[in-house]
Amino acid sequence: MSDAGVVRLLVFRVGNLVCAAEAERVREILPRLAPTRIPGAPPVVAGLVNVRGTLVTVVEGWRALRQPEPPGDAGPGTTVVLEVGRGKKVLGFTVDEVVDLLSVGGETLERRQALPGIDPTLVRAVGRRAGQLFVVLDTDALLTPILSS
Amino acid sequence: MDLSQYAELFLAESREHLSACNQLLLEWERTPANPAPVGGLFRAVHTVKGMAATMGYARVTDIAHRTENLLDLLRRGSRPATDELLQLLFRARDALETAVELSVVGREDELDVAEVVADLEGAAAHLAGPARSAPVAAPAVEPAAAPGGGRLVQVTLRAEAPLKGGRALLVLKRAQGLGAVQGVTPPQAAFESDDFDGRFSFRLDSSAAAAEIERVARGAGDVEHVSVGGEERRAAGPRAAAAAGAPPEATPEKGRHIRVDLRRLDELMDLIGELVTVRGRLNELAAARRDPAVDDVAIQISRLSADLQAGIIQARMTPVWQVFDRFPRLVRDLARELDKQVTFRVEGKEIELDRAILDELGDPLLHLLRNAVDHGIETPAERRRRGKQPEGEIVLAAVRERASVAISVSDDGRGIDRARILDRARREGLVDPHAEALSDDQLLRVLARPGFSTADAVTSVSGRGVGIDVAVTRIRALGGSIDIRSEVGKGTSFVLRLPVTLAIVRALIAGVGRERYALPLTYVAETVEFGVQPTTIVEGREAIVLHDRVVPLVHLRRMLGVSGDAPPRCPIIVLEMGERRSGIVVDGMLGQQEIVVKGFDPPQGTLPVFSGATIMGDGIPALILDAGGLV
Repeated sequence: MSDAGVVRLLVFRVGNLVCAAEAERVREILPRLAPTRIPGAPPVVAGLVNVRGTLVTVVEGWRALRQPEPPGDAGPGTTVVLEVGRGKKVLGFTVDEVVDLLSVGGETLERRQALPGIDPTLVRAVGRRAGQLFVVLDTDALLTPILSS
Repeated sequence: MDLSQYAELFLAESREHLSACNQLLLEWERTPANPAPVGGLFRAVHTVKGMAATMGYARVTDIAHRTENLLDLLRRGSRPATDELLQLLFRARDALETAVELSVVGREDELDVAEVVADLEGAAAHLAGPARSAPVAAPAVEPAAAPGGGRLVQVTLRAEAPLKGGRALLVLKRAQGLGAVQGVTPPQAAFESDDFDGRFSFRLDSSAAAAEIERVARGAGDVEHVSVGGEERRAAGPRAAAAAGAPPEATPEKGRHIRVDLRRLDELMDLIGELVTVRGRLNELAAARRDPAVDDVAIQISRLSADLQAGIIQARMTPVWQVFDRFPRLVRDLARELDKQVTFRVEGKEIELDRAILDELGDPLLHLLRNAVDHGIETPAERRRRGKQPEGEIVLAAVRERASVAISVSDDGRGIDRARILDRARREGLVDPHAEALSDDQLLRVLARPGFSTADAVTSVSGRGVGIDVAVTRIRALGGSIDIRSEVGKGTSFVLRLPVTLAIVRALIAGVGRERYALPLTYVAETVEFGVQPTTIVEGREAIVLHDRVVPLVHLRRMLGVSGDAPPRCPIIVLEMGERRSGIVVDGMLGQQEIVVKGFDPPQGTLPVFSGATIMGDGIPALILDAGGLV
């Protein structure tokens, strides 16, 4: 299936930002679940949810990417369950909506470059879809620091 | 031939036999004139030798063979133990253990056994006396068949059976349960050969009926024919074979055991955990429906799953001796090394704990015992000077308490010099500079600080802190606690309290604001009402006085950062861990239920008061409060 140089990406929107994560890191896509607060955890952690019997810590996407809080009348949102740090751990990441699943040739992605509104260390590459730029996130760099060890 | 699938089994069984060897050697050391331990040693080593030969582990076979030779001479001569002999046998046992562990991972060649082998031979030659000092024969797998000794059993394995050698070995092992097995043809070593065709015979010294012998042999599986004493019994087909091997209920045997991989038990535990969670949801739905038929099913499922759960938890329970048994040897060796005299006693060996907890206990206990020998017990001369028996005593005891198990390590040594520790703690700012004395509790806290003690500052307890820090961390991680009691000149005692099982516990569900928290009942002593009890301030902390004892309060709402105000009257859950107590003020009590303890990856900053989380009947997670973190 996976031709050399072809990357599959899950494209989603968080606030004003269109981002993507490598599809092979995505365990599943779930509707937003009501989280249980974890006392002491930073605000970027929404809490703990039950994914079919497994407890998963969920990170609030808009806070992690410093986007404005979704308005109250926005839809319920979506939780993308991602593998972090070579698949050892699993974290939930809330997004406003999932936009697309793309297969992109490696050459069409530009190496990391500065984009306004996002910390450059979190950007792995930049791609273009329907004339719009999107950011391929370095999900490890984004999420690993949130876990304590 | 690939025997790797037997390697784990070999390892487990060899470890058991070698552990037994330690106990027997210690027993013999205590009662040198008693010949009984030697017989047991001989049998244990013999069994290890047989298994090792089958697995093709030459080094293990070699050491075992030579040890066995020596033991055989000792057994026949009914010789009393001498210190020299015991040292050699301890060394041989240790060499055997190393050989076993290395062989299983294919690193047998790394082992240098020349010295211990030479010493074993030398001792055997010496014992046998000049007249009988025949050279030690090369390791024979089995003694030659005594012609006509026992009944001839001939076995043919199914042609299509995989791993015929291992299977044949199983048949022999099972047969050994009925009586002595001799004259295995072809020899066991040949079972490993690629040419082994699955036909073999042996002589069995047993009075069991032929049908019984056949049933036992067939129980190994993949057996085509068995003939006993020339009388051939042929299976009509697989069905008949299954039937012949089937009815174990018809001939009940005492203490039938099988080995189960711990991972399988973990899987079962996970599944039953899911079932308990779903059961909770079913009960809620049934309660909402008010349909008697649905209620009925819900009740039945509740009962069945409760039984199933109890059964699985029971299957995970393991007696503590499985971990304790290696300590007598350890204490003995350490005492010898340090020139101390120590009697070591173990009590409550049969007390059971969840395997997962027990597996984590080895290291903390090791640290505590080491400390007790090294720093607790004085030298014989010092003890005499203080008017004590020259021989010190260390007791390792397990006791069942309510829903927990208390394990204590006590010595009758010099005790901890509090004045020195206090001095040091004051200088390092670990306690209030004006503190006059250290309570047991404070003492433990100071000792458990990583790297607190260094030899120069607290000579009498040098190094105490090193192991305690490890032990405290480990025990806390298991949802348990450690207490210390120490009196100068009289001794020191550490008490570890542990929940009996980790996986499923009964818990109080407490409400705080709109949040729910589970509090395992293991350490809940009682509940009282806040707002009714007068409160007081003790050492700067709000507290109540209950049964003439001060119980400091923890306002959960404040601690967990829940906004809003607590109701004027609310429950206080009183936790008790050994001597320590604490009252947890919550908004309300939402009931009691079985919860399945699950781990989660705590994000950075998470308050260190949670031991895990559980999934409530409505499918929403609730965090589990760790009593050790609150008391």
